[in-house]
Amino acid sequence: MPLNKDALWYKDAIIYQVHVRTFHDSNGDGIGDFQGLEQKLDYLQELGINAIWLMPFFPSPLRDDGYDIADYNTVHPSYGTLEDFRKLLESAHERGIRVIIEMVLNHTSDQHPWFQEARSSQNNPRRDWYVWSDTDNLYKGARIIFLDTEKSNWAWDPISKSYYWHRFFSHQPDLNYDNPAVRVQMWNLMKFWLEMGVDAFRLDAVPYLVEREGTNCENLPETHNYLKELRRKLDEHFTDRMLLAEANQWPADLRPYFGDGDEFHMAFHFPLMPRMFMGLKLEDRKPITEILQQTPEIPPSCQWSLFLRNHDELTLEMVTDMERDYMYDMYAASKTMRLNLGIRRRLAPLLNNDRRRIELMNGMLMSLPGTPIIYYGDEIGMGDNILLGDRNGVRTPMQWSGGWNAGFSIAEPQRLYAPLIQDPVYGYPAVNVISQRESEHSLLRWMQRIITARRSNGVFGRGSIEFLYPANHRILAYLRRLGKETVLVVNNLSSTAQAVELDLRRYKGNILIEMFGNNIFPRVGDMPYLLTLGPYQFYWFRLRRV
Amino acid sequence: MTRTELKLEDETFLTDDFLRQLINVGEVDILVGLPTHNNAKTVGSVVDTIRNGILRGFPRERAVIINADRGSRDGTPELVTSISIDDARPASNLYALRTLHSISTTCANGPGSGVALRTIMAAAELLRAKACIVMSPESASLQPQWISNLLDPIYRGGFDLVAPTYRRHKFDGLVMTNLLYPMVRALYGLRIREPYMPEFGFSGRFGSQFLGQNGWNDGNSSAGVELRFTLAAITGGYGICQSFLGEKDHTERRAADLVPALRQTVGALFSALEPDFSVWSTVAGSKPVPTTGSEQEFLLEPTRVNRKRLREMFSTGVAELQSVFQAILSPSTLAELQRIARLGDEEFRYPAELWVRTVYEFAASYQKSVISRDHIIQALAPLFRGRVFTFLSENRAGSANDVESNIEVLCLEFERLKPYLLQMWKSRE
Repeated sequence: MPLNKDALWYKDAIIYQVHVRTFHDSNGDGIGDFQGLEQKLDYLQELGINAIWLMPFFPSPLRDDGYDIADYNTVHPSYGTLEDFRKLLESAHERGIRVIIEMVLNHTSDQHPWFQEARSSQNNPRRDWYVWSDTDNLYKGARIIFLDTEKSNWAWDPISKSYYWHRFFSHQPDLNYDNPAVRVQMWNLMKFWLEMGVDAFRLDAVPYLVEREGTNCENLPETHNYLKELRRKLDEHFTDRMLLAEANQWPADLRPYFGDGDEFHMAFHFPLMPRMFMGLKLEDRKPITEILQQTPEIPPSCQWSLFLRNHDELTLEMVTDMERDYMYDMYAASKTMRLNLGIRRRLAPLLNNDRRRIELMNGMLMSLPGTPIIYYGDEIGMGDNILLGDRNGVRTPMQWSGGWNAGFSIAEPQRLYAPLIQDPVYGYPAVNVISQRESEHSLLRWMQRIITARRSNGVFGRGSIEFLYPANHRILAYLRRLGKETVLVVNNLSSTAQAVELDLRRYKGNILIEMFGNNIFPRVGDMPYLLTLGPYQFYWFRLRRV
Repeated sequence: MTRTELKLEDETFLTDDFLRQLINVGEVDILVGLPTHNNAKTVGSVVDTIRNGILRGFPRERAVIINADRGSRDGTPELVTSISIDDARPASNLYALRTLHSISTTCANGPGSGVALRTIMAAAELLRAKACIVMSPESASLQPQWISNLLDPIYRGGFDLVAPTYRRHKFDGLVMTNLLYPMVRALYGLRIREPYMPEFGFSGRFGSQFLGQNGWNDGNSSAGVELRFTLAAITGGYGICQSFLGEKDHTERRAADLVPALRQTVGALFSALEPDFSVWSTVAGSKPVPTTGSEQEFLLEPTRVNRKRLREMFSTGVAELQSVFQAILSPSTLAELQRIARLGDEEFRYPAELWVRTVYEFAASYQKSVISRDHIIQALAPLFRGRVFTFLSENRAGSANDVESNIEVLCLEFERLKPYLLQMWKSRE
């Protein structure tokens, strides 16, 4: 299957997020690798996704799961060689699968040679590649992000006897984007990977690139200027590549990252995700519609990126205190499940392994405006291990089968990079790809069907959205429209059956065609259109005038 | 036919439009009922305060405000429904976790708030509300905390009925202090300060039970349902408590308001005595009920009351209604009333014992229907004014403690003379 050459391919994409280390181990060392991932591309193609997002695979001390990069020009030896990566890229492209990789612009590992040079003396030419100070009193307006581990954004360097700036862990010194050499160097690195064939970058932690006194050091104009500079260079050299922003911000603050279509192509919609969980638990659409009402229009070439879960904690930074307390109480009763300002759990355990709720959440993910991202393993309902530290509980090996090491690796179990999920509910004997492939009614098969349905109609990736506001607040209903195509989506957020009357009078004469079974529903007339939905049920209807 | 089936049949008095609104609301944890009739002057601030109370005290709970309106023509329902919180009309200055429906229905007009309360209780049952409160649409002194004070004991404390206590002027609520409170206390054995409740809370299960058992379709169903609700909770053995709300605004009453008020309150109490006889006839003494906050507080500001007029109406009534009183009262009680009616303002005193005997004889006559029951209630009005004259005189310079002591003396007199009521009740049978 050839690659979709449309420059806006990311609008129609369904992205699968995976860490090379977690997916499949081809050489039996207990760690997933590029060759292992390549062997599983058929599975991903069968699932129906058309893009993979690989988490950082660069050389790294792995103190932040690879987001502490020590060399941007090659790959971590545990995952294979640069040649292995090239082969993976080719194989993915042959299957029509785009490849998105990480680029951590904001900081490096403290083990990166640049930092080692910079700290070696105050006169070193690389000294100014990082942000140094004789005092830790600068930029007091900047919040601390990793509250559970860091007390300050400054760390004392005993070698050069001064403080260096870090927005994340203290072993991740921030690069100095006021230094033109840094700006040039980071573009060169990106160019290196783009020339290799990489389709897109997820640019990590972009709001924090530049620091200015008297500000919160987030979303500064100087940061946007540099990001626009990167985009300009990207467009000058390449035709169908994409930049995806990781900026955990409120919608109004996110909007500038799209610029006038001249900055990022895509950005994660962080505030929506917790509100989908909140709406489900409250059985009330209000949190979802309100955040989308607050979401500004974006340029036509841009796209939101939506997700339910990812490799990080379910972040609760972009909610109010009241909402955060509610989310903790509802989804993380045990304090062990909480990390920083979030909940470190996978989708299935968050939803008590309730198949109907898992389907409803995926249904919304696939039908709200944006490009959906599926976190590896969530398509089969994998569980988590909250006893593992940091966010490692949601980064356990992929469960391919009920056999040895879940089919992930032939290594001795104790050599695996992380223990397998083994509990009776989510353990690999119960939850794995092979058994779900065998069952027509498994979650995996259902995910394949909904992905097919989503991809069958361009309205989901590119269409407009208009919310209907039926008086029954447990029903989230919206129209997706693109050209002459109109799709009606109706979601029941409630655990009980609901009746709802929808005002569809302007579509009088249309019939509704349910998209999963292609069954015809009654014609729209002058009266409110009455639907009944079972607990957590949802419908996708195509509207057709016959 | 089961009880449930009967109730569903009864609930056809709800309109289709209201049922449609209830479907949209769905199951709730908390229901606030608001009976109204042309309350546009006050209801806006009342519903605003109710909404604040819900958002502060119960931000996570599913809540609804239900307005049962008796045909207002001043825009009252629109004011109530306008405070809904929903995503179709987002309010920028208000943060709420979830949708708050505020819906309204028109119910039949009639005396008292019985039909409105029935509507509210039917809605509570259909929505499976766990905790409900009914608020007065005229309550100018309403505070958001009142919502929690009434709901908490039910929603979190497991009680079935929460009666309010207030900080009132010592001369406010005189029917309550001189008749309802002491008589309910003596007969039913529980010291509920406001048995006829302007605001109250109830559990879904108790509301549902009352909805099914109350004789809604008999002629008296609309009158005094708030009092019958209290009595039903007592006789049904439900968990009852009191919650102090705060200062209750004083409502000016005209003399002409007394008889309707007595119909609503004393009439309802007298009506209940017959079906409740097996309960109250076996009760001796009285017990306090669990109370959050003060049991009662009194404001002592000077107030202007035309006492002379009260006494004149008493004397005129005793003279003009002699034939009526002869049918109702014992000869000795009537003679004593006629004696004090001749006294001057300075000497006049309607003592507690005589007042209690009067009330009990009225209650017994009401049960026997010696004359029209409504005439019996009307005949009580001039005598009540005489009692009020004495109460005002005795407490004019009194401190809060003095007033409380005098009320307690009256209560004990009602308890002491309860055998007298029983004796009359049985002899008349």
